[in-house]
Amino acid sequence: MATPAALPPLPFNPSRVRSYLLRLPLFTRLVLLAIVVFWLLELQTVWSVVQWGSLTPDEIGFGSMYRLNTYPFIHMGFFHAIMNLVALTPLIERFEAEHGTLTAVALFIGPLSTFPAGLYLLVEKFLLHRNTAVVGASVWVFLLLGSEAIRTFKSHPYFSLGTYKIPTWTSPLFACIVVSILVPNTSFLGHMCAILVGYLLGLGYLKVFVPPEKILRWIEGKLNLLGRLPHYVSVDQKTYGRYGVLPTSNTMGDRSTPMSYLGTSQPTIRNLRKNPHFLFVHLPHILSFLCILAGVVWLLLLPLNDYSRRTYISENALLPGQVHAYFSGSEQHIFRGYKKELEGLLPEGIHGEGSERNDVELTPEISDKIQSILRASGLKVATQNYEYTPAGISHRGQNAYAIIQAPRGDATEAIVIVTAWKTADGELNLNGVTLALTLARYFKRWSLWSKDIIFLFTPDSKSGTQAWIDAYHDMQPSSVQPLPLKSGALQGGLVVEYPFDHRFESLHIVYDGVNGQLPNLDLINTAVAIAGGQMGIGANLQEMWDHDDSYEARLQTILRGMVKQGFGYATGAHSSFMPYHIDAITLQTKGDGWQDEMALGRTVESLCRSLNNLLEHLHQSFFFYLLMQTNRFVSIGTYLPSAMLIAGNFTIMAIALWLRTGYYMGSQTHTSAPQDKKEKQPTSQAQSTPADTKPVPKIVERNLALPLSFVIGLHLLGLIPLFIFNNLSYKYLTPATHTFIIADIILPLSLATLLTKAFTPTPQQHLLIKSFSLLLLGLFLSTLATLNFSLSFMIGLLCAPLAFINRIPRTTSAPIRYALSFLGLGVLNLLSPPVVLLGGCWYTGVSVETVLAQAAFGWDVWGMWTQVVVWCVWWPAWVIGCALVGFSLF
Amino acid sequence: MPIDRRKTAVFAGALTLRLLLLVLFPSLPDLLTGRVEVSTPVNSFKRLQEGLFLYTRNVSPYDGGVFHQAPLLLPIFALLPNAKDLPLPTAVFYSLIDLINANALITISESGQAIAGRFFSALRKDIKWDGVSVAAWFLFNPFTIATCLGRSTGVFTTTGILYALSNAVTGNSFNAMLSLGFASYLSIYPALLFIPLVLLCRDRRAQGAKQPAGIAVFALQHFALFSFSIAGLLGMSYLIVGDFSQFISATYGFQLLVPDLTPNVGLWWYFFIEMFDSFREFFLGVFWLHLAAYVGGLTVRIRRQPLFVITALLGIFAIFKPYPSISDASLYFSLLPLYRHLFPLMRYTFFAVSAILYATLLGPAFYHLWIYAGSGNANFFYAITLVWSLGLSILLSDTIFAVLRDEWEQDNPEMRGKEARQV
Repeated sequence: MATPAALPPLPFNPSRVRSYLLRLPLFTRLVLLAIVVFWLLELQTVWSVVQWGSLTPDEIGFGSMYRLNTYPFIHMGFFHAIMNLVALTPLIERFEAEHGTLTAVALFIGPLSTFPAGLYLLVEKFLLHRNTAVVGASVWVFLLLGSEAIRTFKSHPYFSLGTYKIPTWTSPLFACIVVSILVPNTSFLGHMCAILVGYLLGLGYLKVFVPPEKILRWIEGKLNLLGRLPHYVSVDQKTYGRYGVLPTSNTMGDRSTPMSYLGTSQPTIRNLRKNPHFLFVHLPHILSFLCILAGVVWLLLLPLNDYSRRTYISENALLPGQVHAYFSGSEQHIFRGYKKELEGLLPEGIHGEGSERNDVELTPEISDKIQSILRASGLKVATQNYEYTPAGISHRGQNAYAIIQAPRGDATEAIVIVTAWKTADGELNLNGVTLALTLARYFKRWSLWSKDIIFLFTPDSKSGTQAWIDAYHDMQPSSVQPLPLKSGALQGGLVVEYPFDHRFESLHIVYDGVNGQLPNLDLINTAVAIAGGQMGIGANLQEMWDHDDSYEARLQTILRGMVKQGFGYATGAHSSFMPYHIDAITLQTKGDGWQDEMALGRTVESLCRSLNNLLEHLHQSFFFYLLMQTNRFVSIGTYLPSAMLIAGNFTIMAIALWLRTGYYMGSQTHTSAPQDKKEKQPTSQAQSTPADTKPVPKIVERNLALPLSFVIGLHLLGLIPLFIFNNLSYKYLTPATHTFIIADIILPLSLATLLTKAFTPTPQQHLLIKSFSLLLLGLFLSTLATLNFSLSFMIGLLCAPLAFINRIPRTTSAPIRYALSFLGLGVLNLLSPPVVLLGGCWYTGVSVETVLAQAAFGWDVWGMWTQVVVWCVWWPAWVIGCALVGFSLF
Repeated sequence: MPIDRRKTAVFAGALTLRLLLLVLFPSLPDLLTGRVEVSTPVNSFKRLQEGLFLYTRNVSPYDGGVFHQAPLLLPIFALLPNAKDLPLPTAVFYSLIDLINANALITISESGQAIAGRFFSALRKDIKWDGVSVAAWFLFNPFTIATCLGRSTGVFTTTGILYALSNAVTGNSFNAMLSLGFASYLSIYPALLFIPLVLLCRDRRAQGAKQPAGIAVFALQHFALFSFSIAGLLGMSYLIVGDFSQFISATYGFQLLVPDLTPNVGLWWYFFIEMFDSFREFFLGVFWLHLAAYVGGLTVRIRRQPLFVITALLGIFAIFKPYPSISDASLYFSLLPLYRHLFPLMRYTFFAVSAILYATLLGPAFYHLWIYAGSGNANFFYAITLVWSLGLSILLSDTIFAVLRDEWEQDNPEMRGKEARQV
């Protein structure tokens, strides 16, 4: 029988911690403050606080005796400081509370810091002849632990562990050992000295240093410290006064430690239970909002050095750049010769640079020429015809490819080098094709290949490779011819693009695959290492031409990568390889510099040599990563929580709504919206009735049929736009989008009208509709996050408002209700899928038709799934959100 | 005989939905047949076709070590046209099997044994679903549809178990034993249901006019029936196969010793992959013992409701069986609506259902990452099968809790609807 009272208590109670912190006594506060101040001082670089105040054996002289007192306040960094603060606070608070502020000051400024320091200096300098500087409040931590251990020893001398009896005074020694094992750079000796002094303190040998009580009283009385200083603990007051415990003889070890604050019956929990409105309505909203916020902040943190890593070659067999690349010299003449032959086949008058060059298609003559060159070099050549007609646009062409059979292999593995006649940007890739032809002739003469090398020449970058790779795995549609000639399993693919005649400056590496799949990071690392290290050519990612390694540039690179990954379209000819688990990248030449086609050829050669070394498929390095620079990345473990937090916010809300429909609806009449003006009657009623006399909330039966069928029906309805947009001819795509925007305005309202008129849903059912919708959304998004992080993140953000909108209760006065709901509908309609599409197109300046035709092409040819997510995950959730606002009109 | 309109509508709807899916997505059955969640080595349709191929060519179907199912299926499927060329007859056949199962469920539901029996009568009798709703719940459950389209032979075991139950609750204990024998013949584990089923039969008989024989005699009689039915089926198999020892080791040996560690939604495969061979026999024993151990405990503790014991055991089998698939889960889910009166007493339905939904979505995603994308590994998928089992376990323990609570409220009427804390 689940009632609010049966909810499990929170294991941790923030309000107790708060009140504990607020009651910390004076000296403890000062010590904590000093530690924080010293830590803040360290942040500047002019004056090294650590060097000034650390306990360094060689630096100690009469002029620098202050070090004996300053070292406990100084820390090596944030984590050192925070750990020591956390450890020290309860201990020193307890000490001060027991002995009074004055005694604490006298002891901690005096013997308790100088004695361990002196002991440490003696041992370190005169026995060990070393000079290790120590800092940190851990000396007090261990000292106090030592004294506490002696006190415990007096009351409970032994732990029993089976038959063994371990004296309790050894516990700080264990702690010390564990700390020095687990935490690097801790001074074992320093801690030991502190524990030793702690034992002495606990055994009472240091009592002589405690100022006599008479003097303390006198000082207190004269200065009226008690009245003047806040949080001051008097000599008399000590433990008893403050906690209101009668002074008895055994109060010594009886005080509960701060840790026992983690009890079961805390007042906060009780308050929460008395206030179910907060627990069930406000708290989930706060949590959801925090989740979204944390998700976004998490992403923004990723470019920092602390959260990203330098790339490294994980697969040792690759050995990038370890071989000399011989492609140069006479090969350049061959390159020029081939280029002349191909240029001769171009139509008249477009030999120079110019945009009309880009209209030149791969004619059958050029294809024949390519084949004859390949045949003349001694390669086996074959062709493949294909045709696709997505969105009413026909893409047809002929792939030509040739295979170099490995002299040292058995044709079970192969590498592909692809040059498309048109680059991914639609430019004529004449130099790239010529380079591939030259490389084919050059590679053929080497005897060191252990994998077949396939040279593929496609008419364009979008469909040709896809047709070829599909046919290579016998997965082609009927409009694509099968391949007459095949080789072994493909181990890697390189796409070469050189779309201009002048020399280039740097290489642009494109790596995004279809549906956000990425090639193994090792391939990119190898390409970067070879281009940058061996060849001296700079490498760029994500069109970041001047990456200055700043936070902004890194973040921009990540975001560009995420946008490409999220849309899931093919960014180049290499993208088609990814679904078949073949790692591939595109090398594009960029800029105007002094690198020539031979440098590019050598890079390709060196890359092929590295791939040739592989003993098994690339698997060592990461498949899920976000690159922020050519040599920095974040791996999935670090970035995934950000999308998961955003997906989780919907799940939290769904669970909360479910709980609310079951437990909380019964006690209240109107609960459906967390809007203002609802604090008054129900909550006060709930607060005024004590928990035990409250009537047992009766089990509320949930009417699931209507919400379930509504939510599931809408998700299935998403198939209709999916079908329409993927099969419409390109001419009608723009009008269809506009029609759909209007349909999106009408549909939720008409659904709301229909449901209200036909079924008159209860407030509970509204909540259930929202709960199921958000549950499904969270479910889909978290699944998606494992497959395509960026898409999940983007859709999660766009859907974020859906977690917070509700049906506005009828109790709200009609004008406000109408105004609010129309406002809500307006805002939501700005976030509907087609409007977001239009907005995005307007912002980037691409026409809607192009984007949608590309999407339909992607669906048909590449097997792109982005549309499914949009229409069957995002859109239904959005319609339900709108309908919930729409319900408030009735 | 008057035709029940609702029943006809539900059945026609279910049949149409299945055929519609087949027509709209012709590749769906093959896709589902290949999914590890639907097809396990002991109920895969692909393996059945392999066995069928050998059988129709007069080779022992167990040659080649692919086929591990009962031989009586072979002559039945040999009558159907080849599913590769003509998928429709097979699909219709499987859909009809589903309808037959739903019919059995209607009988079980309408007998009212889930709500009131010989020793008990539920407190919330008014909250219940009628037989047609229960059947609809079964027929439109996505897991059932996936199993049906995936053509898993587990549905025949389901038929056996459901008919054993429906015969038992209508008092026909003879047929109940024959059906259970059929189910056990197909896949061993239903034999574990024997004890609660005999109790169910006896309770049902005792509700009738004449008193049944003593419990020992009654059990022995039924055990003889049960053994007789299995022996008969084995004898028929012998006529079909010829090599008896090969048949036994390829079917029952395969199910008992679990040599095929293809991933599935259960917990065994990963354990046995990781395990050293020398421990294999020991842990096989432990795992089977664990599975069988629930029978005694549940039967004794919930003696008053043998039908619920069977339901709970089916849930346990769906989790802890050597080769579980979603068809086992769908059988368990199909029996749960009989206990609609317990739903108000259950506490974690939402979490259990969420966990199961998450596992349903994440399972294929992680399997894809592991097998196709190559960017994940076996631990991804195994983690999700753990979540799946966790979801089922929560649901199972929650229903058992609800039953116990219900019984407790009957015993302590003064505590009805009040809060109680278990210590």
